[in-house]
Amino acid sequence: MMRDRRSLISAGIAGGLTWPWLRTLAETADSGITDTEVILGMSAAFSGPSRGLGIELYRGASAYFDDVNYNGGISGRRISLKIYDDGYQPDASVNNTMQLMLEDRVFLLFGYVGTPTVTRVLPLLKKFQDQSVFLFFPFTGAQPQREPPYGDFAFNLRASYLQETAGLVDNFVRIGRRRIAVFYQADAYGRSGWVGVRTALARHGERIAGEATYSRGTQFTATLRPQVEILQAAEPDAVICVGAYAACAAFARDAVDLGLEVPIANVSFVGSENLLALLTEGRERADSERYTRLLVNSQVVPSYEDTSIPAVLEYREFMQRYNPAVPAELVTEAYTPFDHSFVSLEGFLSAKLMVEILRRLGDEPARADLQQAVFSLEDFDLGLSERVSFADGRRQGLQQVFYTVVDGDRFVTLNDWDERFS
Amino acid sequence: MQVIKVQKLFQKTLFGVFALFGFIGVSTSILLIYTVDSYLTEEYETNSAGIAQSIADSSVDILLNRDLSALQSLIDQFVEIQGISYVYITDETGEFLAHTFVPGVPDQIRNSEPATNTTVQRQLPGMGDFVEVSRPILAGVAGAVHVGMDTGIIALQVQRAIGRQVYLISIVFVVGVLAAVWLVSLASRPIGEALTYAVALARGEEEQAAPVEGILARNDEAGQLARLFLHFYRHRAPSTPSTDGTA
Repeated sequence: MMRDRRSLISAGIAGGLTWPWLRTLAETADSGITDTEVILGMSAAFSGPSRGLGIELYRGASAYFDDVNYNGGISGRRISLKIYDDGYQPDASVNNTMQLMLEDRVFLLFGYVGTPTVTRVLPLLKKFQDQSVFLFFPFTGAQPQREPPYGDFAFNLRASYLQETAGLVDNFVRIGRRRIAVFYQADAYGRSGWVGVRTALARHGERIAGEATYSRGTQFTATLRPQVEILQAAEPDAVICVGAYAACAAFARDAVDLGLEVPIANVSFVGSENLLALLTEGRERADSERYTRLLVNSQVVPSYEDTSIPAVLEYREFMQRYNPAVPAELVTEAYTPFDHSFVSLEGFLSAKLMVEILRRLGDEPARADLQQAVFSLEDFDLGLSERVSFADGRRQGLQQVFYTVVDGDRFVTLNDWDERFS
Repeated sequence: MQVIKVQKLFQKTLFGVFALFGFIGVSTSILLIYTVDSYLTEEYETNSAGIAQSIADSSVDILLNRDLSALQSLIDQFVEIQGISYVYITDETGEFLAHTFVPGVPDQIRNSEPATNTTVQRQLPGMGDFVEVSRPILAGVAGAVHVGMDTGIIALQVQRAIGRQVYLISIVFVVGVLAAVWLVSLASRPIGEALTYAVALARGEEEQAAPVEGILARNDEAGQLARLFLHFYRHRAPSTPSTDGTA
């Protein structure tokens, strides 16, 4: 009897001592994974003047995740997205990430939007690196998540802004437009593009001809004439814009109105369809053409009109079949989504690659195995002309940059720079 | 019988009270402006220098090892601090590597001589007045950090302090004037009664002076004066008839 009581007490003490440890271990190992779900965390702009980017990225990704879930998920687990709106504001993004990592305990972070937001989130990933929380495929081409000291905590799919701006500069210089000015957002994103233009111009022995900035969150209704006047004084042959669609559309409008008749280029982050809609909706065709004929946008995914590409066909089919909508609680401002867009195509491709990585984790997915699963991707066929490979020191899947111009009411692939802009 | 009012005697006193309050108000305001302005200017300059030094120290690693967008992200966080209007970083040649200006770097700054360890006052058209503190990065060989504090914030703080001071002095002034009027009234009443009493005695109307006889019971100077008048009245010399027959 006495022996039984001692055993019971010993077992109780041992259990009491080991239970919190076992519980912590179990929580860590199972974070974001249940028998029925894999939970991914996303913080993006669903409100404010850049909400189109978050909404389109979400829609594209959801189209693919919906199909996977419809077909039984991954090892019987549905993919679930825990989403928060950061309005493209760094502080909100940091708070959302803390919530996702520490409270919601998601399996990984996916599909963040923007450089100023991601740049501020990266130190959090380093701080909690023992938990192996990685950021997958953020919608930004900036360098901080591609380089030390934070490059090890993120995986990128898209080409970088350095690659996009280098391509734009090289093409402009090739057709004789050597005086290149920059219009950019006054933050980390704008600076990232500015660095790209500066670096690319330096290779041609040139310097930035002129530069003007705008504040993040600028609306299309704002006047950007002061910026146009600053750049006009520099007499550029072309302007490269590194901004969001509302401000870049306002700049293009004011530039044309003030007679700055030079090619105006935008990088992929701009959200081409949103930009085009602002410049054309409610205008006469002649007016629309006047504002858009000199636009040239770089893209990090191919044209969604090119149905010869298998991934594009799949994207169009899934978008039509599932037509995903943003959860009602995140809809605070009116927004009419596009049937197809470059941003949603990027979201779709990111989701497709994400699913492949999750599949490679097997039946017992663990965060600690994520990196190895990513590195196992070698010449993976995403359905594009370019294969995807990752390795230690190679944390960006795609390298290709595409160039598009406006033809009627859509962006189409630019085939001949000379013919268009010489 | 109506008591004679002698408040005119104290008008100068009241005027003096007004003048004194005015002087106190103006002099303390000037002192306050000077004190608050120099204190805040000194504090803002110290803060700017601290912030500039902090950015300069952090920038070394970023400039040498990382992308400039990380540097931009760093300085963007500092302009969220109240009073800091702009931050810019130049390299050793004076080229702007990162800045927070919209729509662009002002010509006055772009055309100024590169500085690494100075404090200058700047008047930027369309932007305002600023104190700009510069600190070197890596002893200046990697460039410099420049932090601009809006002196308009200092002016606003001074205005607020003055506003509060004027508010307080106005209340004290009103209370002081009311108190002065009351005190003057209190002081002038016995003198008026003494005067009324003296006039009545002078007219030979001691009975008429009865309503104000209470003045004789006072222990103060007015009471003593009244008793003196009564003494003179009672011991006055017999009156000499005047040539015109009046007393």
